[in-house]
Amino acid sequence: MGSSNTAGGGVREESAMEDGGADGGAYQPEMPAFGAFSEGEKVLAYHGPCLYEAKVQKTEIRKDEWKYFVHYLGWSKSWDEWVVADRLLKFTEENGSKQKFLAKNQNVDKSSKSGRSTQSKPRSSNDAKVDKEDIRNQAPRGKKRKGQTGTEEKSMRSVEKLAMLQFPPTLKKQLVDDWEFVTQLGKLVKLPRSPNVDDILKKYLEYRTKKDGMIVESVAEILKGIRCYFDKALPLMLLYKKERQQYQEAVHDNISPSSIYGAEHLLRLFVKLPELLSYVNMEEDALGKLQQKLLDLLKFLQKNQNLFFLSTYNGSKNMDKSDD
Amino acid sequence: METGGEEEQDGLSGHSPGQAPPSSASSLPKEHPQVELELRILEALEIYHPAKLQGLHRHFVLYGLMEYMRKSFEKQFTADEILQLLDRFFNLEMLKPDEEEVENINHEEDFSLPQSFFIKEES
Repeated sequence: MGSSNTAGGGVREESAMEDGGADGGAYQPEMPAFGAFSEGEKVLAYHGPCLYEAKVQKTEIRKDEWKYFVHYLGWSKSWDEWVVADRLLKFTEENGSKQKFLAKNQNVDKSSKSGRSTQSKPRSSNDAKVDKEDIRNQAPRGKKRKGQTGTEEKSMRSVEKLAMLQFPPTLKKQLVDDWEFVTQLGKLVKLPRSPNVDDILKKYLEYRTKKDGMIVESVAEILKGIRCYFDKALPLMLLYKKERQQYQEAVHDNISPSSIYGAEHLLRLFVKLPELLSYVNMEEDALGKLQQKLLDLLKFLQKNQNLFFLSTYNGSKNMDKSDD
Repeated sequence: METGGEEEQDGLSGHSPGQAPPSSASSLPKEHPQVELELRILEALEIYHPAKLQGLHRHFVLYGLMEYMRKSFEKQFTADEILQLLDRFFNLEMLKPDEEEVENINHEEDFSLPQSFFIKEES
């Protein structure tokens, strides 16, 4: 009992129901009579990577799912929003330490910056966007009620499959460090990178070819596809706001981003792959095979992590700007 | 039956630098009648719309088609073989990328790392 609460990304529906429906107790997957959280209840709510104290003000069933209208305590009403149960945790001591843990991780680098509360609320609209993004990314992740059907369901399903693309933990950390360097410390990857994305993909093909004793056609095709995605997606969805200016300067017409950027940005593409691939509407077993191959590529990146990835970012956005 | 696992069944593909495929479909494997190949590829197009072959997703659509054919004939097809087959039905050059795709992909947004990446796994 209760131990299930410590798991991963927020309260899973099941455990939440157990806690919340203590009176009735009956868990009905189709349509619970009560949401996991009740009106007026004090909760912890994810906003971006951190947890904040919040109060549930309204609850409602929309599209067969309980939605909660939360107000973040101590924050302007303009932050009030509707969220799903995945974003909320019960206001317990255990979850409180989780909140502190996350906040501490967040603020390693900025706690000294100002006299403001250490649990800084995302300030820029950019950060707020993180959130919408999250909802979109997380919605399909196996947390839907079983009985639910809908028009979105089909395209969701393939996303869901690929969302299970498990990042090796060290690459996950690589992405968090990447986030921290760029968005928190204002550091950038110095361009052009060597090896660049083209080099890395070529190395991988060589590695596979050697291992399999031949060029595996499907792998070659996937690598072409990744390169194509990378070039297109880089300016559209793989850059943090602070990197845009650098992009303008580094990438002129006719140069493909894959010859300038390296593993740091390639790894971000993997975060976006499920979304991109959902447009292909691939058959399930083809998708499964693809997933294995992508995972193999990820493992290759991991194996060569020291070789491919920068350990620190040096290029700063503005030369004259020191970071406090 | 499938041997399972991720091993490709490339042994039969007969694709070697020595015998560059001529421009006709004659490099396609002989063991299956042409009509059967064509039937299957048309079937596959119900899943993978040919218009998608012209856009951003081209390579993954080709991959999907390769997988479909591999499954149907239990042998590996190359991308070129797939394109040769399709060439009999479509002028691929003339296909326009579908508009929905262009719309979906063309708006710019900043990268943001999903929340799940920030949560450290226990132990």
